[in-house]
Amino acid sequence: MPVNYQQWPRVILTAISMLMVSSATAHERYILPSHTLLSGDQPQTVTVNASISNAIFHPDQPLGDSGSGRDVGEFKEYFANLDYAVIKPDGQMTTDTQWTAFSRMSVADVTLTDPGTYRIGIVQPDIFMTTFINSDGQPERIWGPSPNIPDGAKNVVRRTTAARVETFVTLNNATQAALKPTGTGIEALSITHPNDLFANEPAQFMLYFNGKPLTENVDVKLIQAGTRHRNDREEKQLIVAKDGAVNFTPTQAGFYLLIAETHIDKPQQQDVDVKHYSLYLTLEVFPE
Amino acid sequence: MKKEQTIYMVRLPLVILLFIALWLLPNITHAQTITVSVEIPDIKTSPYHKPYVAVWIETPKREGVHTLAFWRQQADWFKDLRQWWRKIGRNQSPDYQAVAGATRKPGVYSLQWDGKLTSGKMLPAGEYLLHVESVREQGSREYLQQAFTYPSDNKQVFTIEGKQEIGTVTLSIQP
Repeated sequence: MPVNYQQWPRVILTAISMLMVSSATAHERYILPSHTLLSGDQPQTVTVNASISNAIFHPDQPLGDSGSGRDVGEFKEYFANLDYAVIKPDGQMTTDTQWTAFSRMSVADVTLTDPGTYRIGIVQPDIFMTTFINSDGQPERIWGPSPNIPDGAKNVVRRTTAARVETFVTLNNATQAALKPTGTGIEALSITHPNDLFANEPAQFMLYFNGKPLTENVDVKLIQAGTRHRNDREEKQLIVAKDGAVNFTPTQAGFYLLIAETHIDKPQQQDVDVKHYSLYLTLEVFPE
Repeated sequence: MKKEQTIYMVRLPLVILLFIALWLLPNITHAQTITVSVEIPDIKTSPYHKPYVAVWIETPKREGVHTLAFWRQQADWFKDLRQWWRKIGRNQSPDYQAVAGATRKPGVYSLQWDGKLTSGKMLPAGEYLLHVESVREQGSREYLQQAFTYPSDNKQVFTIEGKQEIGTVTLSIQP
């Protein structure tokens, strides 16, 4: 939903729906890099934009800000809690990438000082949310770890939601260190290198959850860019193999968004009933 | 004398009635009911958002004539009913407020129109196209058309099948 900053109640609603956990109302998010494949003797910079939008790679709302962008209202606290993580070719993680929010997207420059593969991400840690059916029979939700649940509420479920929004870019030779699991949330890492994807060539990714292979209770789908300009959304459900491998063969060049979701129903954590996790991974496929 | 007068008095109203009937006849024949049934298919997906749907009539030259149904939520997304929006929605012409309503859950919905335009005039005789457009957030979009003649000497019934976001659409015009 687009944001009109003159309409504060709408903004609050938007901020809420943006954070929505359950796949029943989640909005898609993405990072779109200017380049995924670069060559040269000198450091190179890629400009990435990020947005919360259901029209894949057409921005709708900003995602991320390091304090330099426009007044994002209710998003401010949310953006302050995000980790703007970049994993460098040597495997080291930096969190000092400066994101700037605009009305419809956020933008950042990432300079590739070393040759190799970088993972550029926006990582959302656990956010608390409680869903319930109110006394009028309508579904409601309240954010925060200690919600005031109204009298007469039924089906009260205490949840957390966490997400990784990321992509890979490579300067010169493709390397592996940025493809190792960080151990946080869902990750889709290569068997095929994510910066070596070509039309009509099989691609294979391995899914991880908190560092271990993710083999069950997971929903994976793939959407090609351009949903705004075609009538059929062409959302493809991908099958996850017993070892956590996901296979697909893109038939066309272009950008793709791979989305994976899972949840833990009875976590050890005492104050939560369900923990939700999602991954939004942008991939670029080149023509044969 | 008394008898002739009686006959005369009976005949005069009959003649007037005949004139009134002849004058009304074209209007009566034009007032045929257009019935459209639209199916919103039950799509098993998560998240599922109820579709925005528009059902309207245009001339073959693509002039918007009348909206039969406009099911929507937020104004920000009206433009995603792209064909309806460009022909009727953004001009709000002809006015469609009377048929605007909330989005509907999957099911079959029947719409009836007596041919009365929002201007108050009746739909002129001619060739028309029924348009049905449906678009679903995080889903797909579908757009169907069906030509028909109005009014009709015979009952016209058309059935068109959507592929994805629209189920079966039937259009019937009853003389």
